This record gives sequence, structure tokens and C-alpha cells, in this order.
Amino acid sequence: MQLQDIARVLRSKNAGPCLITFDVMFGNRKDFDRVCSQLHRLRTEVASRYGRSENEVRVIAYEPAQAVKITIPRDVMSGDPGDRDVYGAQQHAPLLEIEI
Amino acid sequence: MSAIGRLFDEFSVSRRPLRILGASGQLGYGIPTPALREGLTRRPDMIGCDMGSIDIGPHYLGSGSMAPTRVGAKRDLRKVLRAARTHDIPLVIGSAGSAGAAPHLEQTLDMLREIAAEDGLHFKLASIPADLSRDTVKAAIGAGRVHPLDTMEPLSPEEVDSATNLVGQMGVEAFRRALETGADVVVAGRACDTGIFAAIPDILGFPLGISTHMAKIVECASLCCIPGGRDTILATLDDEGFELESMALDRAATPSSVAAHSLYEQADPYDVREPAGRVDLRSVTYTKLDARRTRVAGASFEPAERLTVKMEGARPAGYRALLLCGAADPRFISRHQAILERVKGVVHDLVCEDTPEDYQLFFRVYGADGVRSWSAPPETWPREVFVLGECIAPSAERAEEVVRTTKQYLLHHGYEGRLSTAGNVAFPFTPPEVVTGAAYRFNVFHLMEVDDLVSLFPVQVEQL
Repeated sequence: MQLQDIARVLRSKNAGPCLITFDVMFGNRKDFDRVCSQLHRLRTEVASRYGRSENEVRVIAYEPAQAVKITIPRDVMSGDPGDRDVYGAQQHAPLLEIEI
Repeated sequence: MSAIGRLFDEFSVSRRPLRILGASGQLGYGIPTPALREGLTRRPDMIGCDMGSIDIGPHYLGSGSMAPTRVGAKRDLRKVLRAARTHDIPLVIGSAGSAGAAPHLEQTLDMLREIAAEDGLHFKLASIPADLSRDTVKAAIGAGRVHPLDTMEPLSPEEVDSATNLVGQMGVEAFRRALETGADVVVAGRACDTGIFAAIPDILGFPLGISTHMAKIVECASLCCIPGGRDTILATLDDEGFELESMALDRAATPSSVAAHSLYEQADPYDVREPAGRVDLRSVTYTKLDARRTRVAGASFEPAERLTVKMEGARPAGYRALLLCGAADPRFISRHQAILERVKGVVHDLVCEDTPEDYQLFFRVYGADGVRSWSAPPETWPREVFVLGECIAPSAERAEEVVRTTKQYLLHHGYEGRLSTAGNVAFPFTPPEVVTGAAYRFNVFHLMEVDDLVSLFPVQVEQL
């Protein structure tokens, strides 16, 4: 099963001009727990899909909203010459197909 | 007596819950009237509006222009100003004019003065500039008191000088000082969103952790609801927590939707950073009151050992010109990477014959890599692609020269296997080149340790 099959929300946005943050929210406790049990592997997958080292990927389980937050550095600072997504709102696509 | 003065007097006699209206999270893009009107029937004690953000990119801070139109901004300002004056309650606006530097604050104040004159409104207006003295920042760099945020490089004095605008994010403290002048309307330059809504509660003695958490949510209006939206929201604050209710009947503040809001545009959902400390959200509880209302409690404030101010600056990055075109030939689409590289070379040879390569030329091919820099091409190519060419050069004329030359040689570039020898791309209109003008980039996103916030963010008062 892929992340996009069980996520209720899967989105990206800037967290300040240097970082991109992903919010993956789940609709029930079971799916949230399932992903929480694989956070280490999720971090490895994110690092490889975004061309980052693992220590640049921050993963936080956020129980109050049954969500996982993932934050990585941007390749290009928001709005710098060569940036493709100033708000960072469309950088989540590589997460959709991560197997869970 | 001023609106804020009456509130102080009342609370000095007896305490009660405070009703706070978050009218807009993006003043200038329209405030839905039905929800604002509903909010005003709840006898709010204040109206707050956030007007800016760093997320909109460096152009506005760099150029001094606003993100919404002046017409839109003035319409929204009129709406909230008339509401606040009719009900005689304080109006607090933060991050004036999108980026909160001097030109943005001045444009916002000008609109308020115009509205006051046009509508015959009289009130005391306090404003708080957020612009930082470059000498102060450079002295702080020298003293080792400036620290890069996230992935920024250390700040140099040269970068401080090259920023067209340089602001600091003021917090609750600056709003307090402005309100304590007895102002009816407070307009701040660049500010922490929380200062807008937490300053009056702080003056009245509500716990700072709870009121800052409340402020962090209502500054986005009804975005914390299902479905999320920009309608006015009401927070009712007491000493133990606060209740949230959207003033749009079709939006519900549920425990999970409110909890989820802490994720939005934040790297850490448990942590809110302020100049004077941090708010810890680890022990927060979200309790359903009914289908549309949630009660939130449990945030705690931890004062910082040192006061710090988050600084933002943007500098010129040259001038930008664009080329807009598309293609539908599968041969062109599948070979576009090599073709575009080749065209870049042709353009370079033509425009750099007697001039150094003083520009950057980018292509974003929508359908392939317009939005992301993918590590590999797609398995199958799309039927059409949109090609956006962008040049950033030292002058607008130079940028235009580069994209016009690019247009001509992209159109006629002969590549191997080409069948469509009359032209490689389709132009949706002429001219297909657009000069957008000065480009900017963020060059300051740093934290500065400070001893005193009062001198950084002086309050100005005028009577209208």
C-alpha cells in the first residue's frame, strides 16, 4: 500500500524560505500507528527521493492530528533565481508512492 | 475614553472571558461580509488582522510593493476600520502592506488616513515601524550576536547594506506599548502574527502561553476549520484556555482540524517561537464543545534567556524577462533537454560576442520539469509541453535582449530528426516575451540577539 492510499491529506509548503515541510495526515488511528511504526524507513525513503542525506530530513509524529510532519531543506531558497515553486506547495508528489 | 482604556478599567474591577475576532489572515484579498457581520453580533472586544507573510516570496519586501491591489487592501481596511469604530473596539493590524517594511507601512497608513477623511472617522492611530538600523545590525554582526536561520550562510555587513528593505519581526511587547498609548487602531510593520492577537490578553493578565497559542490559530481566520476558509473566526479566551468558533456557519472548528493547524507552515508543530520566548504545545488538549466549536487548553510559555529578533531582508537580483511558448511535436518534446541546452549555447554565442555572460537563462518545461527538478524524465512524455524561458540580467534591456534572441533561435533551431521545419514552438500571443522588471531575492533570514526591544520598534501616534 502506498502513502497516497491511506493519507487523508498529503501536502507541502514552505516553513520559512529555506525549508519545505510536508504534512501527512491520516483518517484513523490504525493508519497513523502503521506509519509511525515505520518512521525510520520513511525518513530513508524521503532522503533518497529528494536527494538529501538522512540527517537533513526531520520527521515528527504529531499525535493530536494523527499526522506525520517531514521537513527538508529547499534545493533553492524560496524566490531565488532558478526556483520553481516559491510557496513550495507542489513539492509533495515524490511522497505519494512511498510503500507503507 | 479610548476603547482599550475602557477594557483596562473593566478588567481591573472584574475579569471575564475576552472575545477576539480574527477578521482576516490576508487583509487585502477580500473579507467575506456575512461572517464578519456575524462576528460583530457577538460583541467582540477587539478585531485583529494579519496582512503579511514571508511565504509570498522576496519581491514584495525587496520592491516595497504590496501583494494585493491597493483597491483590495483599501476595501478590506475600510471594512474592518468601520466595524471597529462603529463598535468602539480596538483594531490591531500586523505585517502591514504584505512585507511590513517602511514603504508597506506608509501605504497602509495612507489608506487608513484616506478612509478616515472620506468616512468622517476620528480615532487615535498608533503605528510601529519594523525597519532595522543597518548600523545596529552590523554592530551585532561584529559582536557575534547574529545567527543564520535554517540553511542560511552567516550574515555579512555587505549583505546588510545591499538589502533594499531590512525588517525585524516585532512581538507582543511592541503591540503592548502601542496599545498602552490609548490607541484605537494599531498598525505594525513586520510582526509575529501572534503579537496582533496576544497583546491585549497579555495586558489584561491572561496567561501568555494560552493567548499566544490562540493568536497563532486565529491569525489565519477560519483556516483551522473544516472546510478551511478565510471567514472571520471568534476566539473566547479565559484563564485556562480558549474556545474557537468560525463565524461562517458552514465551517466547523473540530478538535482534529484545530490540532492540525499547528502543522501549517511550521517546521515543528509543538513549538511556537517568539522574541521573548517559546510556546510549548506538547500538553495541549483539544475538546469538542459541539459540532462547530472546540476548546483548546494547555499551552505553556517559556521565557527565553535572551531576547532575539528574527530579521528578514531582500536585495536586488537583477532584472527579469520571460519567454512564453509551447510545443506539441513528440520529437521536440522527447529531445527538449538537448535542444534547449543547444539553444542556450547559440544564444550565448550571439549575445556575448562583445559582452561577458552577465545573465542567467533558465527553462522550465511544464509537462516535464516545470514544478520540480526531477531526477529522471517521465516514462511517457505528455502530448504538449509549455516552455517558460526566464532570463535574469543586470538590466531590463539585457534581459529582454536575451529572451528575444532565445525566442528566435528556439523557434528555428534545427535538431536531428526534426520534421516541423517551419517552427519548433507555438506562441500564444505576440509579443511572447514579457519584461517583468526588477527581481529580488532574500538575503537576510537571521536571528539577532538584542538587549532592548523598545528602541528597535518605536511607537508613533497620530490623531485622525
